[in-house]
Amino acid sequence: MAFKDYKISSGILGIFTSGWVGFKYFIEFFTDYNSLGIIRNTLVMSILKMIFTFPLPILLALVLNEIKISPMKKLVQTASYLPYFISWVIVAGFCQIFLQSNGVINSFLLNLGLADSPIKFLTGSSYFLPIAVITACWKDMGWWAILFLASMAGIDLSLYEAAQIDGAGRIKRIWYITLPGIRSTITVVLILALGNLLGGGLGGSNFDQSYLLGNAGNIDISENIQTYVMKVGLSSGRYAYAAAIGLCQSIISVFLVLTSNSLAKKFTGDGLF
Amino acid sequence: MKTSIEFSHKIKRTQEDWIIDTVVYALAIFIFIITFYPFFLSIVLAFNEGKDATYGGIYFWPRKFTLDNFAELLNDPAWGKALLITVLRTVLGTGITVFFTCLVAYGLSAKNLIFRKFYMGMVIFSMYFSGGIIPYYMVIRSMHLTNSFLVYIIPSALNTFFLIVAISFFQDIPKDLAESASIDGAGELTILRKIILPISKPLLATIAIFTAVTQWNSWYDCAFFTQNKALRTMGYLLMSVIKKSSMSQSNMDSYAASVAGGTITTVSVQLAAMIVAVAPILLIYPFFQRYIVSGLTLGSVKG
Repeated sequence: MAFKDYKISSGILGIFTSGWVGFKYFIEFFTDYNSLGIIRNTLVMSILKMIFTFPLPILLALVLNEIKISPMKKLVQTASYLPYFISWVIVAGFCQIFLQSNGVINSFLLNLGLADSPIKFLTGSSYFLPIAVITACWKDMGWWAILFLASMAGIDLSLYEAAQIDGAGRIKRIWYITLPGIRSTITVVLILALGNLLGGGLGGSNFDQSYLLGNAGNIDISENIQTYVMKVGLSSGRYAYAAAIGLCQSIISVFLVLTSNSLAKKFTGDGLF
Repeated sequence: MKTSIEFSHKIKRTQEDWIIDTVVYALAIFIFIITFYPFFLSIVLAFNEGKDATYGGIYFWPRKFTLDNFAELLNDPAWGKALLITVLRTVLGTGITVFFTCLVAYGLSAKNLIFRKFYMGMVIFSMYFSGGIIPYYMVIRSMHLTNSFLVYIIPSALNTFFLIVAISFFQDIPKDLAESASIDGAGELTILRKIILPISKPLLATIAIFTAVTQWNSWYDCAFFTQNKALRTMGYLLMSVIKKSSMSQSNMDSYAASVAGGTITTVSVQLAAMIVAVAPILLIYPFFQRYIVSGLTLGSVKG
């Protein structure tokens, strides 16, 4: 479909009957004046989210693993993965209510004298990426920490005892026993995250974030490939063009999964498949 | 042995331990607050009078307690209808997904199934590669699922991720159970219904819970695949409210704009809607959270 001159009026069979146009739509997208910005936004957002959402669950799992008071550990863990189960719509609602000009955050900043006038978090383009990254961490950190924590529980306790007798402190035990112990889990999660890099990695959906938090004020930063596909595809009815852009993204994603998998195999000896 | 334990107790509290414990507990409390407080504050604000809330300064407890926001929400026929549709799609969608996923998984878990490799290849391919949203939309359209309630249920009837989880779960069940039943004269369906499913309850619960949460939260299919006002879901209505007020965010007055001239504002009704949308998840959360960890670790078995 991405290589065809398809019109919606010709129905589903039109996919087969319409003429071939080769790479026309791909060329059109890559030469479009704003495609560069959209690709840049997608990459910047994906990579920033990757940098923050990948190490934080490991850190959280380490913190939880070090808590010795069991009810407290359970309470914190339970709270930490609660946000995973609410939708991005609700998260966007939270953002809106807490970040608007007379919301909690602004009144807090004003009261403390940290800001002279309410900060326009939601409409300023410079705030979009921090908000996207922070909400992504907030929402999905606890969820991925479960996986790391489960894998930490599988580490042989006698290793810790032996290390302690040899005089290794807490930091050393974490560094030399806990982290190597969960290495294979880290690899698997990293592959999954890289495969979904353009979709949002571990930190939920790029589309949801951009679509829900994006507005006229921050569109220069918030518009990404997915929202653009949606806009030109379903709203403007340019199906074939949008399908071509979507296909590019799918191919890049599959390429990323395969590459990261083979790299992981090479360096750590185990991969996903 | 005893001496070594005593020994480890003696060297336990070093300065390093104190520092690490302080950092760990401080971080834990910080994480707890940042995850819990937004929910708490939203609930507090939803029970406060909307106009009063615009003056700010509410952090821990409602200043002027009221139920008007919820009353306004439930009296609005659009929200009432959306709630009904959402409940309906959650119940039906979950039932159908569990049913089909188990049925297909049971078939595919049989090692002697003809063309098994081909079917599995199809499942795995569809999990990793998607044509994108536009071809997906075309398929939905050509099946006449747009503007129909079925668009909420049919595309998600078979969940590939849980399909694979279920296949590996069924394969771990000892073969003898099924064999002894078939010697006693039970057919495949009876074996599935009377033997396999009863011992797969944790699996069924996991699939059901995750599907139900997804169904309850979803807004995407409603926003892009239906124009029918009667099919609006809670998620969609919330989304459109949020989008709308995000567009008018630039002027401060929009926040205080009253709906009916009473004490209610658009924001306070939005908050009430958010609470209604989150409440079921919060309420069943304590019950389903023991399945969460098992669900995730079940899934990672395939790795």
